[in-house]
Amino acid sequence: MLAALRRRLQSWMRPRQAEHLPVRLQRNRIYILPTATGLFFGLLLGTMGLGALNFNNNPALLLALLLAGAAQASLIAAHMQLSGVVVDAVAADPVPAGEPLRLRIGLGALDQRMRRGMRIASGEAHAHVAFDHTGSTAELPLLTERRGLMPVPRLALSTVQPLGLARAWAYVWPDQSVLVYPAPEAQAPPLPTPVGDAGRAQVTRAGDDVHHLRGYRAGDAPRTVAWKASARRDSLLVREYEQHRSDQLLLDWQLTAGLPYEQRIRRLARWVDDAEREGRRYALQVPGQPSIPIGLGAAHRHRCLRALALMPGEAALG
Amino acid sequence: MADPRSLLARLKSPPMQPRGRLLVMIATATGLLPLLLQLPPELGTGFGVCAILVGIVSWRRAPPALLRLLVGIGMLVAIAAVAPGVGRDTACAVLAAMLALKPSETFSLRDGRSLVGFALFAPFAAFLLDQGPSSLALALVAVLAALLALQQLAHDEAEVSASTGTKGWPASVGVLKLVLLGLPLALAAFWLFPRLPAPLWGLPERVVARPGLSDTMTPGGWLDLMNDDSPAARVQFIGPAPPQQQMYWRGPVLLDFDGRTWRQAKQLRFLPAGPLQAAGPEWDYQIEPEPTEDRQLVALDLPTEVPDGAFIAHDYSVYSSQPLNGVTRWRMRSVTAAAAEPALPSELRRRALLVPAGFNPRTIALGRQWRADAGADASGNADAAIANRALEMIRREFVYTLNVPLAGRNEIDDFLFDRKQGYCEHFSSAFVVLMRAAGVPARVVTGYAGGYRNPIGDYWLVLNSDAHAWAEVWLPRRGWVRVDPTAAVAPERVFDTIADRQPGRIGAFDGLVPVFNASDWLRRGWNDFVLGYDAQRQQRLLNPFGGRPLGSRELILVFTVISALALAWMAWLLARGERERDPLLRAWHRLGRRYARRGQGREMHEPAEAWAERVGADVPRAGDHLRSLSRRFSDARYAAVEPGARRILLQDLAAHRP
Repeated sequence: MLAALRRRLQSWMRPRQAEHLPVRLQRNRIYILPTATGLFFGLLLGTMGLGALNFNNNPALLLALLLAGAAQASLIAAHMQLSGVVVDAVAADPVPAGEPLRLRIGLGALDQRMRRGMRIASGEAHAHVAFDHTGSTAELPLLTERRGLMPVPRLALSTVQPLGLARAWAYVWPDQSVLVYPAPEAQAPPLPTPVGDAGRAQVTRAGDDVHHLRGYRAGDAPRTVAWKASARRDSLLVREYEQHRSDQLLLDWQLTAGLPYEQRIRRLARWVDDAEREGRRYALQVPGQPSIPIGLGAAHRHRCLRALALMPGEAALG
Repeated sequence: MADPRSLLARLKSPPMQPRGRLLVMIATATGLLPLLLQLPPELGTGFGVCAILVGIVSWRRAPPALLRLLVGIGMLVAIAAVAPGVGRDTACAVLAAMLALKPSETFSLRDGRSLVGFALFAPFAAFLLDQGPSSLALALVAVLAALLALQQLAHDEAEVSASTGTKGWPASVGVLKLVLLGLPLALAAFWLFPRLPAPLWGLPERVVARPGLSDTMTPGGWLDLMNDDSPAARVQFIGPAPPQQQMYWRGPVLLDFDGRTWRQAKQLRFLPAGPLQAAGPEWDYQIEPEPTEDRQLVALDLPTEVPDGAFIAHDYSVYSSQPLNGVTRWRMRSVTAAAAEPALPSELRRRALLVPAGFNPRTIALGRQWRADAGADASGNADAAIANRALEMIRREFVYTLNVPLAGRNEIDDFLFDRKQGYCEHFSSAFVVLMRAAGVPARVVTGYAGGYRNPIGDYWLVLNSDAHAWAEVWLPRRGWVRVDPTAAVAPERVFDTIADRQPGRIGAFDGLVPVFNASDWLRRGWNDFVLGYDAQRQQRLLNPFGGRPLGSRELILVFTVISALALAWMAWLLARGERERDPLLRAWHRLGRRYARRGQGREMHEPAEAWAERVGADVPRAGDHLRSLSRRFSDARYAAVEPGARRILLQDLAAHRP
């Protein structure tokens, strides 16, 4: 009942639909209500005022009124903390589903006033940020559940400044989505055997000629480290093999036949990560999308995982 | 269903940071200070020391609950020992004790905020005990400290680090700004919010009374009062003032004596005052007694006219119908009497002759002997002769001193026959008993004698140290006649404020006298304008401007209008805060809104000149002008132009209509 009322109120508050950034907060969308502390103070001041009026105790009345005036002014100050704030942009680096997505929110202000203790929240996730007209970026860890494009939720910017007696808040609802990769399968079989052209399929890793040595980069498989050479040079060196066509992987949708739909996507996502880690070039072929040619590296990985993330849902396939 | 653990975590308030906690403690201390100053000194100091120790001990972690409990019980016992009973002052003392102890268990943000709230109750409680300017000044400090603490706690909650929290203005300036912003609304409410003409519920009384005149007098008991240089009343004469030697301020009249203590005849209070014949001029004055929490008023001897809300009792002492809890002012008239109550009712006569049996045999014997010497005389000459004989004896043989040993059983015998030393209480008491023994109706009158004229403001200040007791004897045809046996011995001590005890004077150094005069004048203004402001004064608010008295409906109307103005001012501040700073941009946006009303508003992505090009084509009349305006606007924004051109552009932008 209370929750329903709350939802009703929330849906009534502005903005009632997603909007284009940048958004400037103005008084028609700033809400303000007393906090529990504020209600307690209201009660306290009411008692003091009533007692003072009853006894015609002027200093006490003056004291209560002065506090009430300051509390009233603090509402305005809270309002001014929000008004004039500009939400410039939101962005996030994609993460696998299930991991927190760090939503970056670019904030600025039209005036010189310092904004401090601004709280940005969406559901349980919240972050605090301080900024002035030069702007700043807040990072909000959002929970992700499903792969695909996640619409940025309605964000609540709120503050209890300056006295903690009232909370002023405004919603920002960016008309934007962020990408969530599929979660890689945890227990996946090893990478499929490489496919060459003309059926030449042979593991050639061990016998390959070493083309040259290069410095260690994060993500290089430990077995590619040239330990002897590294010991001589005091820095880790990695053998770089000459790439043979036969070493190329084709991560094909058909390889995962027999698995449930979502698990097939997750297995492919896992294999993409595995291939990246092992430094093996790979291609991806999934139904309904142009196949992604062979490649390696962050951009390639993103392209593959994006394709996997954007696979239509099972229901949509019929 | 929410996870109970997360619910619990949400209910549990986060802890305060050290800085926030320190400010909460400071707020508590500043709130406590005005209250401690109003408590009995031993309690005030004790609790103050206790609060400091508690603050130090519990800085890192809460002391054991048992220790806290023991300290709390100790404080309550101290209150019960110093001021046994339930009253306003003991309730305030309990509040002070709680506040002194509370910081020992205040660690979370929410507790900190509650403590700040309760700390604000302390100055409020102090005002129930004293409403002086010093209390208000301390309370203002407490308010600022409380607001500062709240601000810091809000910072703590929002995890504002010290580096961003202290950037720009210092924190106190922000709080001061808030207070100033709220000031117009607060003052409007103070002056205009309708006041109650009479309290809805009464003020609980104090357990420990303030020094002042009371309805009893035990000779030897006034030493505290006579050394108290705080004001008792301020009097402004309208027209001439009587000479200082005739300024007897009549307070409680004490008729009943039990051998040790004089008491008021309370049950006779509502008897009407006897007829009074004036001799000489009538004095018209306004008296402002300090709050005594009693109904007793003082009036110049003898009062003939008192305002509504006061009445003159049978013994010509004046009572208010309400206890004097706050500052009040009374316009009265008094005369020097030629005859006061020339026909004495038999009951009063009987009681004015009562001498307690078994006390002071020598005094009674002396009185009887004097009566035998003088003989009976219906005209009253013999009575007058007896009174004069007593005065003569006192003048000849007695000495004025404040160093008096403790009273024995026959105190008056000791005083009259052995010691022959004392002060006004002894003189008046012994004189009345002697008169009664001689068959002359007599009673003790207490009050104040003399006064100090403050040249600043031209009013008379009566101090508690001016407390005085004198006697009245009843003589046929003349009625009650004032006799001051103390003045027969030491007139300079009765009216002592003229010479050595002039306020503000230290020994022979009188440089501080003007300072005293000015500060008392300020205090009087404070009483007048701040403390004395009540429902009646509120109704007369517009009288100086020729207005008629305001009803509560009109007051509410005026209050609403003024508060609406104050709120509008705040709203204006809000709108101003949102306003574009650059006047050029502001004018440009206004122009854009004019076109937007016609559905030709500028799109967000559209540059100024492109928009003007698009729209200008559709507006045959103003199109060219708009194009030139947009070009000039772009120049002014992005190229250097001279200020004059900018001003002209501003005017043109404002004048342009689609």
